[in-house]
Amino acid sequence: MTTVKSAFPAVALSSAILLAATLAVAASATRYLHVKVTNPTTHELVRVNVPLTLAEKVIPAINHGELRDGKVHIGNLNADKVNVRAILDALKTAPEGEFVTVQNTGDDVRVAKEHGQVVVHVIDKESKENVDVTVPWDVVEALVSDTTEDQLNVEAAVKALETVGDTTLVRVSGHEENVRVWVDSRNTDTE
Amino acid sequence: MIFIAKLGIGVLGTALVGAAALSSEGFIYVNVQEKHPGGTHVNVLVPAALVPTTLHFIPRHHFGAAPHDLRTVLPIIDAAIPALNDCPDGLLVEVVDPGEHVLVSKRAGAIVVDVNDPDETVHVSVPLSAAQSAIHQIAEATPAD
Repeated sequence: MTTVKSAFPAVALSSAILLAATLAVAASATRYLHVKVTNPTTHELVRVNVPLTLAEKVIPAINHGELRDGKVHIGNLNADKVNVRAILDALKTAPEGEFVTVQNTGDDVRVAKEHGQVVVHVIDKESKENVDVTVPWDVVEALVSDTTEDQLNVEAAVKALETVGDTTLVRVSGHEENVRVWVDSRNTDTE
Repeated sequence: MIFIAKLGIGVLGTALVGAAALSSEGFIYVNVQEKHPGGTHVNVLVPAALVPTTLHFIPRHHFGAAPHDLRTVLPIIDAAIPALNDCPDGLLVEVVDPGEHVLVSKRAGAIVVDVNDPDETVHVSVPLSAAQSAIHQIAEATPAD
């Protein structure tokens, strides 16, 4: 009986650790990459919900076309001798604000750093199409990590997406199609 | 009398073990319902454990180019299926066209496809482990290039 009593604190502690571990595992909810394409005219809809853990495992296994070893080859990433990495380094240390604004008869383009994210906003005046791209800084850095000049590290970017909060990455709205790409912890596409 | 009782227990035990082994990998379920009057209704429930055995009896020429095609994507499938198995259940893909609705979801360790078009409704449920072993078996059906 004495043995049982003396073992009680150890059992209680073990149980508490086990419970805490279980709760921690339950709390680490699966993150999802969602894509939703709708066509208001034809009422077509495509919804894709990809668990990021699935993408993390599958992307390195794809060795086809421009995607190899988790990295995609981009032909013109270093076009006109522009050093993408140097630009990103400069952007990282630059204060928040607007970097590029182009306004012409065809479209308006705005690139800015806002709240630790790179934001690209394009308005195509002819097609009345708006494109908003928001990439968290951690994802931008992951995209160019461990790559040559004409590569983007998709695998690292997906891993980085696991740690960013719920965010809309791409939103395209136009007459013919609306596209939204975002990450959150829900396995449905409710906004 | 005791002998008959022992025999009964033996037969029952064997049947239970056999049933457990057959259902251990889940079931492949196919349901097709044609919508036109008098349309066919197909309802098939097959233990997934039977698939590897069944594939042995299919003449290799019926696989066509499938073994070659599957071999090229086998690393992707081997990465995707266990990862998908670890994911929570939920809707993966939905396509809505005028007159057609396709749903692909993961449910209880199986990949489930539902198609509803003007002609028919189709429901297919395949346990992920069975899918992986079947794909491997088809891919290995002919010597690698």
